[in-house]
Amino acid sequence: MSRLPLVFIITGMIGFAMFHAVSLSSLLGWLDAGVRGPEGWFNAHLFVLGWATMLAMGAFYQLIGVILQTNIHSEKLGWTHYAVFTVGLFGLLFGFALGKTAMIAFFAVLVLAGILLFAWNVGATMFGAAKWDAITLSAAAAVLYLVLTGLTGMMMGVNFALGWWNGLHQRLFGAHIWLGAVGWFGLLITGFSYKMLPMFYLAHGHPTALQKAVPVLWNAAALAGAAAFLAEGGAAAVTPALAILAAAILMYNVHILQIRKHRHKKNPGAGIRWSMYGNHAFAAAAALALAWALANPQSLADTRTLLLAGWVYLPGWVSFMILCYAFKIVPFLWWTLKYGRRAGQPGTPLMANLLDEKKANALLAAVAVAFFLPAAGLALDLEPLVAAGGVLYSAVSLAYMALLGLVFTR
Amino acid sequence: MDIAATIRERLRTVYDPELGVNVVDLGLVYDIREEPDRVRVIMTLTTPGCPLHDAIVGAARRALWQALPDRPVDVELVWEPRWTPDRMSDAAKEQLGLW
Repeated sequence: MSRLPLVFIITGMIGFAMFHAVSLSSLLGWLDAGVRGPEGWFNAHLFVLGWATMLAMGAFYQLIGVILQTNIHSEKLGWTHYAVFTVGLFGLLFGFALGKTAMIAFFAVLVLAGILLFAWNVGATMFGAAKWDAITLSAAAAVLYLVLTGLTGMMMGVNFALGWWNGLHQRLFGAHIWLGAVGWFGLLITGFSYKMLPMFYLAHGHPTALQKAVPVLWNAAALAGAAAFLAEGGAAAVTPALAILAAAILMYNVHILQIRKHRHKKNPGAGIRWSMYGNHAFAAAAALALAWALANPQSLADTRTLLLAGWVYLPGWVSFMILCYAFKIVPFLWWTLKYGRRAGQPGTPLMANLLDEKKANALLAAVAVAFFLPAAGLALDLEPLVAAGGVLYSAVSLAYMALLGLVFTR
Repeated sequence: MDIAATIRERLRTVYDPELGVNVVDLGLVYDIREEPDRVRVIMTLTTPGCPLHDAIVGAARRALWQALPDRPVDVELVWEPRWTPDRMSDAAKEQLGLW
C-alpha cells in the first residue's frame, strides 16, 4: 500500500498543531486584528493549506483509488507534488512571517506548481478511469476550483509586487476566498461523503436523486459567487450566490439524512456521528446567514460579519468535517499499513481498537462547543471572549489531534 | 466435515476490520466450489471499491492456505450479484446493532 496519503495526512496534522500552537500564543489575536496583512495571511494559509488542504489532498489520494477502483496515474508525480507543495507552503509561510516579498513570490509559485501537479495527477487518473458520477464530478470540480483559487491568489501576489491590476485586487480577493472555500472544500467534502457515509453507515438502497442535484447547485453557487466578486456586484450579486449555496447545503442535509435512514449499522463511529451534527448545524447557520443578508444587505460589506462568516465556514464546517472524517481515515491508513498483511490472524486488532471512541466523542463535542465561543465573541464584538474562546478551542483541538496521533503508537 | 464446511468455518476467523464482523456472517461468501484441481471461493465485499479490498481478500487467502495447505484454493472476488444487507446472518445484524 502506498504511503503517499499517510505522509500528506501526517503533514496536515502537523500543520494543524502548528496553527493552534500559534493561535494559543497570540490568543487568537490575529483573527481579531483582521486577516488582511502578513500575520493574517500567515495564519489563514497555515490553516487552509497547511492543515485542511494538506489533509484533503492525502484523503483524495486515498479515496480516489477506492472510488475509481484504479491506481493513481503516477505515484512518482504524487511524491513530487508533495515535495513541491510542502516546500512551497512552508517557504510561503516564512515569507509572510518575515514580510519578504521576494520570498513570498518565489514560494507562492512553488505552491501553485504543487497544486497544478496535483490537478494533473488526479485529472489523468479520473479521465483515464472515465467513471463519472456525482462523486467523481464533485471531486473533479473541486480540484478545478483549487486551481482557480491558486491562480487568483497568484494574481494578487503579482499585483502586490508589480501593481499591474490594482483596480482588480479587491475583486480577486473575494473570488479567491469564495472559490477556495465554496468550490474546493465544499465540493470535495460533499462529494466524498456520498461514498464515505454509506460505507460507514452500511447504507443500502438510499435514493440518489439529490446526490445529482446538490453538485449542480453547489457549482452554481461557486460560479455565481466568484462572478459576483469579480464583477464587484456588491450585495445584489453576492446574495443570490449565498441563496443558491444555502439551498445546496439544505438539500445536501436532506440527502445525508436519507443515507442515515437506510443504514444497516447503528453506530457508524463518533466521527461520522459528529459530522452529521456538524452538517445540520451548518445548514441552520447557512439559513440564518441568508436571512441576515436579505434583511441587512449592507452587512455583506462589514468586516466583522465577514470574519464571522469565515469562522463559521472554515473552522466551523470545513475543518470540523475533516476532523470528523480523520476519525476514520487515520486509523484506516495506519491499520492498513501496519496490520493489513496480518488481517485474519489471531491478535490482529480491529480498526476501532486503534482509537478510543469515548475520548474521541468527548473531544469532538468539546471542539464543537468551544467553536461557538470565538464565534459569539466576533458576533458581539467582545475581544476577551474571542481570546478566551480561542484558547479553549485551540486547546481541545490539540487534545483531539493528540488522540488521533496516538493511533500511530498502536 | 467436508471441505466446503471446513472452509466456511475457517473464513469465520476473517473479519471485516471496520465492521468487526466475520465475512461468513456478513454474507460475503457466495459459493465454495470443489473442482478437480482446486477449491474455488467466490466472495464479494459490502461495497464495490471497498478500501479494505486487499486486506480482506488477502486475509481470506491466508486463512485458506493455512486450513488446506495441500490443496490450491482460489479466492475470486465478484460484484454481481451485489451484496445486500439481507445476506447478513442474524448474529451479524445483532452485532451491528440492528436488532
